[in-house]
Amino acid sequence: MNNSARDAILGSIRSHLATSAPYDNPANFENPVILSNKKLDLSPVELFKRNLESVNGHCILTTDVTDALRQIITDLKGRRIAISDDPNVERWLRLTDLEIEELGIAPNAQDIFRFDIGISTAQAAIAETGTLVLDSAHERHRFVSLVPPVHIAIVDASRIVETLGDALALLRSKNEISPAVTFITGPSRTADIELTLAIGVHGPQELYVIIKEVVGETG
Amino acid sequence: MNTNHLSSETFRENAKAALADAQLRGALKNATSLFGERRKQAAASLPNWEQLRSQARAMKDEVLLHLDRYLEEFVRNAERRGAKIHWARDAAEANSIISGLATERRARIIVKSKSMTTEETHLNTALEDAGMQVVETDLGEYIIQLAEETPSHIIAPAIHKTRGQVAELFTAELGMPPTDDVAQLTRTARVTLRDRFAAADVGISGVNFGIAETGTIVIVENEGNIRLTTSLPRTHIAVMGIEKVVPRFADLDVFLKLLPRSGTGQRLTTYQSFITGIKRVATDEGPEELHIVLLDNGRSRMLAHPVTRQSLACIRCGACLNACPVYQQIGGHAYGAVYQGPIGAVITPQLMGIEKTSQLPYASSLCGACREVCPVKIDIPQLLLHLRGEIAPSKGSVGERLAFKLWAKVMVSPTLYKLSSIAGRAMQRIVPISKAWTNGRDLRPIESKSFHDLWTNE
Repeated sequence: MNNSARDAILGSIRSHLATSAPYDNPANFENPVILSNKKLDLSPVELFKRNLESVNGHCILTTDVTDALRQIITDLKGRRIAISDDPNVERWLRLTDLEIEELGIAPNAQDIFRFDIGISTAQAAIAETGTLVLDSAHERHRFVSLVPPVHIAIVDASRIVETLGDALALLRSKNEISPAVTFITGPSRTADIELTLAIGVHGPQELYVIIKEVVGETG
Repeated sequence: MNTNHLSSETFRENAKAALADAQLRGALKNATSLFGERRKQAAASLPNWEQLRSQARAMKDEVLLHLDRYLEEFVRNAERRGAKIHWARDAAEANSIISGLATERRARIIVKSKSMTTEETHLNTALEDAGMQVVETDLGEYIIQLAEETPSHIIAPAIHKTRGQVAELFTAELGMPPTDDVAQLTRTARVTLRDRFAAADVGISGVNFGIAETGTIVIVENEGNIRLTTSLPRTHIAVMGIEKVVPRFADLDVFLKLLPRSGTGQRLTTYQSFITGIKRVATDEGPEELHIVLLDNGRSRMLAHPVTRQSLACIRCGACLNACPVYQQIGGHAYGAVYQGPIGAVITPQLMGIEKTSQLPYASSLCGACREVCPVKIDIPQLLLHLRGEIAPSKGSVGERLAFKLWAKVMVSPTLYKLSSIAGRAMQRIVPISKAWTNGRDLRPIESKSFHDLWTNE
């Protein structure tokens, strides 16, 4: 490792800060107040749905994940399906009794390109932004949520937190942050040509979120 | 207009040419007003926008005042999680580190996601010189790479191009049938770039935030090309300015509220990638190695004064560009530099030295619109004045300096002042006043009686 560059940069930082010191006011670093927003007037589930739909995502509230999956895959005529390594995903998919031309379980970086639909769960979701939280320590879903033109994510209603701050605190509460955490809010988008919105540039063109509710409970 | 090789040295001429370009001004008007309106609404959607701005600035000040400590903390934690850290004093050193890494890995194809820092070092040229194919994957960056131009806006690099121009470019370069449909253009880019992603050996990205307490790098985007760049190739190289550190993971709550709202007016961009070191199990998804290149390139120098230090608080949202009456008329290329608009006018001279960039701090009416919208409350007008102060002693004609010396003498002597006002009244009829001023407006004649005369006579 090139220690001379390191020492030169740190040395330059220190000497320039020392030059500046006589002109400086005492630092006024405040601890960030965790900014709780005004109280939500909707349940977290309702709010998540509304916010996800506002960024062109689809949201289905259901107690029957298999039924919802069957519906979506049939509508899209998906034939080649890539799923994460979460055993529940495979179980739900098998229960649909759909004819699947090719099923890939956490395909690698080469194979993933030929699939029509990717299916995973999400470890959490954020109500105030309509965001999914994918944590690589729990599931291999990095590619299935990214490369196929459609991503279907299943999340437990109980895993929806209210605010961005709540989600960050949840991630930080673990012993170690996972190597890859991804926030997803709607399908891939761009406005690089004349600021005209185009959906699905590099990531999925469609995002379906199935919120799994427990029978007998709503919201 | 060929905007590829404009230089900051010819700013006045560049600006004049831009003003004569009706197509460019139409595109700019559309874009800057739309961005501006969206930002305003997004800021108003939070009850505590002002408090957020103050907090963000306080966090940045804290980091900058102890930058050595926070950098060392960041490095320690990133290394603990398996990232390799490289320090680069300047652009040349950064480029040589990166092309060295790519060469060692026998890389042929490199995919890149948008990174202003690598624009600053002209990394692409260095990698191409080393025989590699470099593909920009952000749609806007891809467009300007095909057109062999440079970005004209921090967050919307191809903002100066119309859909018609993009279509012509895609038809010429990619053989696409002519279309004016933005969705079709976008699909064409998707299909073309998929190939490159699948074949790439190395992915290069920028960094929006580096978290000291965890060693995490955070990158925000809408398209998904950053996720592809940082997930698919075996090697990920992230290039990070040394000022990008924030102390704690929880601080992201503030910055992730401010950045997307200020940039595009979104509540949150589509994707945030939080990358902490490398994967733990070899068979897991994601790159096998992560290299983080920490770039100084003139940044540490800006720490030497609290006024210049503010420049390092910038989170590259682009809001000041959209708000600036100068940028709104001339666009980004006229600045002849990687960073444009108000923030460019203060950063560029500090990065590149004032000799060749001395016109930039004058590319402002000091109206303060940039300061109003800045999510981290950088006092850009104050910075512009500070830089003008550095430039002034070496600039200015002998005549100008003499005139001000004389003016100073007159202003402190009541007798000379009275004489000068009488002379002024007489002279205004015979001496033509500066044409630059009277070309576009009339100069009001000086009143025949001075206030002082009126006061003593009433």
